[in-house]
Amino acid sequence: MSDPDPTQPSEIEIKGLSKIFGQGSSAFKALSDINLSIRTGEFFTLLGPSGCGKTTLLRVIAGFEQPSTGSLKINGKEVAGQGPNARPVNTVFQSYALFPHMNVAQNIGFGLKMLGRPAAEVKETTARMLKLVQMEAMADRKPSEISGGQQQRVALARALAPQPRVLLLDEPLSALDLKLRKEMQSELKRLQTETGITFVFVTHDQEEALTMSDRIAVMSGGRILQLGAPHDIYNSPAERFVADFIGDTNFLTVKVVEATDTVAQVRMPGGMLQSARLPAGMHPAAGDEVSVVIRPEQANLTEGGASPLSATVTDSVFFGTDTHIHVTLADGTPFTLRRQNAGNPTPPAPGTEVGLTFAHGALQVIRE
Amino acid sequence: MASDPNQQTERHGWKWLLSAPALIVLVLAASGPLMIVVLYSFLTPGNMGGVAWEFSTDAWFRVFFRRDIFDPDNVTVNQAHLAVLWRSVWLSAQTTVICAVLGFPTAWFIATRPPSQRTVWLFLITIPFWTNLLIRTFAIQEMLRNNGTINTALMWLGVINEPIPMMFTDFAVLLGMAYVFMPLMVLPLYAAMDKMDFRLVEAGYDLYASRMAVLRHVILPLVKPGFIAGSILVFIPSIGAYVTPRVLGGGQKMMLGNLIALQFGQGRNWPLGAALAMVLLIITITALVLYLRAVNRQEAKRDG
Repeated sequence: MSDPDPTQPSEIEIKGLSKIFGQGSSAFKALSDINLSIRTGEFFTLLGPSGCGKTTLLRVIAGFEQPSTGSLKINGKEVAGQGPNARPVNTVFQSYALFPHMNVAQNIGFGLKMLGRPAAEVKETTARMLKLVQMEAMADRKPSEISGGQQQRVALARALAPQPRVLLLDEPLSALDLKLRKEMQSELKRLQTETGITFVFVTHDQEEALTMSDRIAVMSGGRILQLGAPHDIYNSPAERFVADFIGDTNFLTVKVVEATDTVAQVRMPGGMLQSARLPAGMHPAAGDEVSVVIRPEQANLTEGGASPLSATVTDSVFFGTDTHIHVTLADGTPFTLRRQNAGNPTPPAPGTEVGLTFAHGALQVIRE
Repeated sequence: MASDPNQQTERHGWKWLLSAPALIVLVLAASGPLMIVVLYSFLTPGNMGGVAWEFSTDAWFRVFFRRDIFDPDNVTVNQAHLAVLWRSVWLSAQTTVICAVLGFPTAWFIATRPPSQRTVWLFLITIPFWTNLLIRTFAIQEMLRNNGTINTALMWLGVINEPIPMMFTDFAVLLGMAYVFMPLMVLPLYAAMDKMDFRLVEAGYDLYASRMAVLRHVILPLVKPGFIAGSILVFIPSIGAYVTPRVLGGGQKMMLGNLIALQFGQGRNWPLGAALAMVLLIITITALVLYLRAVNRQEAKRDG
């Protein structure tokens, strides 16, 4: 876990926040003890499977739900108990929720109009927003007369027009097809850089989270399991859930030989010694069995007995830029390697005996 | 476009026969009686009711004007008829507004219940519909009359010494009609709200709208089709109401329906009754057209 950096100003400060729906025996704890600090101007992602509480957390920040306990500060001001119309945040809804009885320009100008800004300012800002999302030609259309991708842009422009301190995005890309989604991903990054507004982005798509975010909070069961930059989350997952949820992963059970605060020497199946990073706060004793994570691209194949960790090739799948090679270790554990196709020989045939070696720093111990 | 349209019609010429059942219903059941009413309004009243087959525009004349019995050349506007016409339009318009004002929160309440409860509330709204209209109207009379429920309760509480006369007033008629026609407003409003995406309400709040602003700029425009349907469903039967003004308004506060019934009954002037019925139809259609046009114009203005 990376602690909030005191030198960076924090836009959203959440302490001990929980949310319970219902009462008595039917009560459901959607969020428990959330502590989170989101920095000004960062692209922050809440990532997790459906039902993990990420959307609830977003709705609590937006003000659609009130926290059951805990504090929520936006720009230093406590906002728990305030309605959404009193908070300097705007939401891009999953379904866009554009007003069907207003045209594109009226939708975009709605927030400013409600803030009581003069008509000239509303008009000027609306025009600027239309330009920002490249929808000038559609200003007079109704939401039902434009495509899904265009509706997405209008929803963005509508939420950005009042110049909120924080923009909340609730799986805004999930309804788009793959090509449009890629386009909108870079569009979102561009908008965030141009406006400098803090983005809080909710998604269940780990690839989307990795490519777009400055920092990611991985959630499950109403808790934040791990918080960090994309490469930290990917390379150093602290828990099995995080490792499993993000990217393809191999899990191996190994024995600890000796451990310091951050690194452990572990004995691999086949007797090879490797060093593995330890998650913060985990202090295994010598002789403990722990699980390690190895990403498929961090493992290499050797032929001709150069490695003590031997395996048998079961099959290989061609993916264009790379090939996934599935092998089985001596004890029957399946293992997947990913190998770039450029400059590499054709993969060994099924049944070939091979050895496995690992890149430096490939092993990460995880909590179960 | 390529083939000759006449030829097309000829080839399929017999096919229109398939729509004969619909045509028969439309011509005989829907338009037929109306044609008879139009015809009767241009005939002369028979001595014992019915009509004499003699063309006359007298019935139409008498809808709006009256001749002095002793001096047939002394023509004055028929104040009594115009008063009834005006009362019918005015009471129906008020009924529609009352139903809309009270029906909106009612429909909103139902639409915001959990889905499992909504059926129960809708059921409660429609229950009065299953009771005979006359019985329901007499129940209101029981509440309003001088020694009825309301006056007795108020006198017992010492709020008033004398009973408040409520029967046979416009108030009584209005109350009765609003009560009777309320479900016709609530149901289409509920249908419109049920279809409404409540995330739009959240979007409104999110974009700094107050509760009143969300109601005005988001909810009301979205449920407008419900208001339009409800207004039409309430206004049309209100303007032709017979039972409610008869029981609660008595002979004093007659509406068009009562006046028409009177002409076909005691008045024994069928042509006048028929002409009044046509006037009712014309008023209804005119009101509808004006209303829809106003609604559309508002829409066009917002779009512009």
